[in-house]
Amino acid sequence: MQPVDRDQELVGIRAKLKELLVSNLNIEGITPDQIKDDDPLFGEGLGLDSLDAVEIVVILQRHFGVEVKDMEKGREIFRSVNTLANYVYDTKQGQK
Amino acid sequence: MTPDATRKIEARQRGNALGFWFFRVSLRAFGLRGAYGLLYIVCSYYVIFDRRAVQAARAYVDRRFPDHGRWARLADVYRLFVSQGKNLIDRYYLISGVGRFGTRVEGEARLRDVMQSGHGIVLLTAHVGNWQTIMNYLGAFERKVNLVMRPEDNPAVRESLGIDRSGQTIGIISPEGYLGGVVESMNALGRGEVVSLMGDRSYGFNPVEVNFLGGRAWFASGAFHLAAMAGCPAVVLLSAKNGTHDYTVEVVSITRPRYQPGIPKREQLAGWVQAFAQVLEEYLIRHPYQCFLFYDIWQKPEVKNHPLET
Repeated sequence: MQPVDRDQELVGIRAKLKELLVSNLNIEGITPDQIKDDDPLFGEGLGLDSLDAVEIVVILQRHFGVEVKDMEKGREIFRSVNTLANYVYDTKQGQK
Repeated sequence: MTPDATRKIEARQRGNALGFWFFRVSLRAFGLRGAYGLLYIVCSYYVIFDRRAVQAARAYVDRRFPDHGRWARLADVYRLFVSQGKNLIDRYYLISGVGRFGTRVEGEARLRDVMQSGHGIVLLTAHVGNWQTIMNYLGAFERKVNLVMRPEDNPAVRESLGIDRSGQTIGIISPEGYLGGVVESMNALGRGEVVSLMGDRSYGFNPVEVNFLGGRAWFASGAFHLAAMAGCPAVVLLSAKNGTHDYTVEVVSITRPRYQPGIPKREQLAGWVQAFAQVLEEYLIRHPYQCFLFYDIWQKPEVKNHPLET
């Protein structure tokens, strides 16, 4: 049953992340629904920059209680909404 | 450049191991004044033969001394070079334990309140005066200070400045790393540490246009964004050399930037950065030969995609 739970929970995390990205970051003319799960967050994708990266760090801390401590993994974690959601889920599972 | 790429900040290196060794020996043999004496010869060489160095200094000199003629401005460049040379010798003097400087602190009570709060602090400095005296002074508070700076890739400078010997109280966060070091900076602030950034040069990463010394210049904005997002105070701390053995460390301003809803964040950032540029300008009016920027920040930079800078 756990894979189904995981998938359901990831859907919820991704939706919440998209809402928070749109409401907190400098993304104009985009609704949460228009962000694809695998869109790159930086550069060619959503076009976010490192000012936005600070906000994502704060979103992870304040809304999900998760910190990114290992910058070796940072490049993968911050790649897309999907990778962020996976990191949030895995970290929270590890905290239980 | 995207944040996925590892960025490299271009910086021209001057000085070599032999040169630094020569100054170290002179310092131990003849003291501060003796080592300073050599500078007048070395700096003459740079003024006469190093056109790029002169050109780099002229960006500031031309705006700080608009009423000076051609030869007076060249003399200003020379004074700046000598002043920076003394700065480097003083750093070694401090680090090597050869001697100490008398340091007067202006605004200490305000800083003490902030430093003793235990919360994270964004320390904003500039290419002005001698940051080693600031670090020395901050050492008394026993708070870890993380310098957001490119790793020094000139071994001679690195060795001379004792960066490797700074111990656990000083950490280095590289702005050349992934996302410009923002995650490490936020984590450090969360642990109640100090994160120190240079605010007067953007390197093209999220620059903000401000009024500065009679022109439109491009400053860094990352420090205020970090402070606003982490809920930390932004402390502007600058130092100036007053005499052979005397420095002043000045708590120029302490602000608590917080984003207000309904106003674009970049607009609010621009206001905070402009206020910083204003206090820096006032400082340089009082200490004209303490500016070691050596870069034309009045020329629009090629915008890149990182916010932090050193």
